[in-house]
Amino acid sequence: MLVDFEIITRAQAGDAPAFNEIVLAYRKRTLGTIARLISRPEDVEDVGQEVFLRLYFSLDQLRTAEVFEPWLYRLTVNAAYDYLRKQRRRMESRMSDLSEQQVVLADAMAGGRVDHDYRQRQQITEAVDAMLSAVSEADRILLTLKEVEGLSLKELEKIYRVKENALKVRLFRARQRVLKAFGEAGREPSAKGAAEGRDIAV
Amino acid sequence: MNWTNRGDDNAELDALFRAYRDACPDPEVSASFMPELWRRIEERQRSVFFLGRWARTLVTAAAVLSLAMAAYLYIPHGRRSVFAVESYVEALAAGHAQDASDLPEPVLDEL
Repeated sequence: MLVDFEIITRAQAGDAPAFNEIVLAYRKRTLGTIARLISRPEDVEDVGQEVFLRLYFSLDQLRTAEVFEPWLYRLTVNAAYDYLRKQRRRMESRMSDLSEQQVVLADAMAGGRVDHDYRQRQQITEAVDAMLSAVSEADRILLTLKEVEGLSLKELEKIYRVKENALKVRLFRARQRVLKAFGEAGREPSAKGAAEGRDIAV
Repeated sequence: MNWTNRGDDNAELDALFRAYRDACPDPEVSASFMPELWRRIEERQRSVFFLGRWARTLVTAAAVLSLAMAAYLYIPHGRRSVFAVESYVEALAAGHAQDASDLPEPVLDEL
């Protein structure tokens, strides 16, 4: 826990400074999770604010302060899920959509200003994004929480409110789908490049 | 795909996820994060407040209208409807009386 239970209890009672303290303690971690879940840096803060907005209006529903962190994770997952669904709809109507970061990167690459490490990080990010975009939003979020965020099955159990065995099955299936996408992407030169770059970046 | 390849793919996938984690560190938070968050909270509070007030007004108006309708139906009016006060038998008798006036009077033959 990054804050005391007492602060959460005070925030539940409507204490604004206590709520501020919670946001300050958790915002960096939450924004990091969101960044890896949605892969669009320019929208991370917007989704992060949505998470804390939902937290503010739902804090009174939190029964015990002990379950605060899984609760916050659940809000984060739900906000990311909503964003990804909206984004998918938008992408369907606007196929040539590029993130600001991609545009900046393209400009910088054209000008030869991007260093080697940055290019490799970008390659890895794009390869994983492409792979995860081949599966559903639910699979993407579950896999990111488990494999990238490093959450344990016990933690995921609290977030998803499902039994460990059911989670294992869902994870296995999601992984199979990603592996299939990974196998298909592995035959493409861009993915191969990212995989090679990975050894340097790790 | 055979099992060896699948195992290789699994290991590669794990490594790729780890690399992804390293390639995407927690972002820096902008200075406008907190003010913008509070602006959104206050905006939501305002809309919830107005929605609540509008709902209360609507409920009050509905209650007043119901009371007015109940009063209108309860209070007796000057001109009473025949259909409202007469029973079925009374209405039938009245109908027969009208029919009877149209019939000729029976003639009694004097023997």
